[in-house]
Amino acid sequence: MPQLDTSTWLITIMIMMPALYLIMQLKLLNTVYYFPPSQKVPSTQMFNNPWQLKWTKIYLPHLHIQHY
Amino acid sequence: MNENLFTSFTHPTLLGLPAVVPIILFPTLLLPTSKYLINNRLVTIQQNLIQLIVKQMMAIHNTKGQTWSLMLMSLIIFIATTNLLGLLPHSFTPTAQLSMNLAMAIPLWAGTVITGLRFKTKSSLAHFLPQGTPTPLIPMLVVIETISLFIQPVALAVRLTANITAGHLLMHLIGSATLVLSTISFSMTSLTLMLLVLLTILEMAVALIQAYVFTLLVSLYLHDNT
Repeated sequence: MPQLDTSTWLITIMIMMPALYLIMQLKLLNTVYYFPPSQKVPSTQMFNNPWQLKWTKIYLPHLHIQHY
Repeated sequence: MNENLFTSFTHPTLLGLPAVVPIILFPTLLLPTSKYLINNRLVTIQQNLIQLIVKQMMAIHNTKGQTWSLMLMSLIIFIATTNLLGLLPHSFTPTAQLSMNLAMAIPLWAGTVITGLRFKTKSSLAHFLPQGTPTPLIPMLVVIETISLFIQPVALAVRLTANITAGHLLMHLIGSATLVLSTISFSMTSLTLMLLVLLTILEMAVALIQAYVFTLLVSLYLHDNT
């Protein structure tokens, strides 16, 4: 059986070692898994209300209104 | 007859030089590395597959065992690509060589055992005696467990070699039988051809499964020892 012919064992092992332990690992190390870019939370406020909201409370739409 | 069958497993030489060198290094060419945020399809598929395999295989380990994830990932990718490339006609499969599999199995197994002996000496030695054995059986059981420990690397190597070799050999035989039958009768040819197709599909599965099993067992030995 040609697998048992030990004359070729040295070259096989010698070339497998760097192939597996060096090159494959370098290839895997150089893959960069970027974090998916995070989405910016859009501001839900539509208006900038400089006046006091209690005067216009019933006329504004139902939003997360920032109180000044 | 014997010599003819096994010629595909002899080392290929190109003008007297060992051609094994580029053959073993070839699978690394098929894995492009690119550091772009958005890669092309090939790189994306490969990176996603590797991420899937990492998550699947390293989930069972603790922090110490997960330091081995680079080693195990390179192992499974190497064996899988080499096995799959060996299914191409007239190609040489390095993982069908006992030398290479022994050189892969023994250091990895020895690494797991030494890790266990270094960090969890008592616990790893305690693996030699399963719980609840009756007292008179203890010496014999320790001997049996030691033998089963030392046979692990040999079993790893021989399992991979034998599976790949047997698959390739079977494909050779059925292929040559199909060729011979093609001049004799058509129905037998189509039957044998179908057998060959099914066998090829099986071999693809075996290629992947063997890679998986090898890596899984190494990781299991690791799990026992970390």
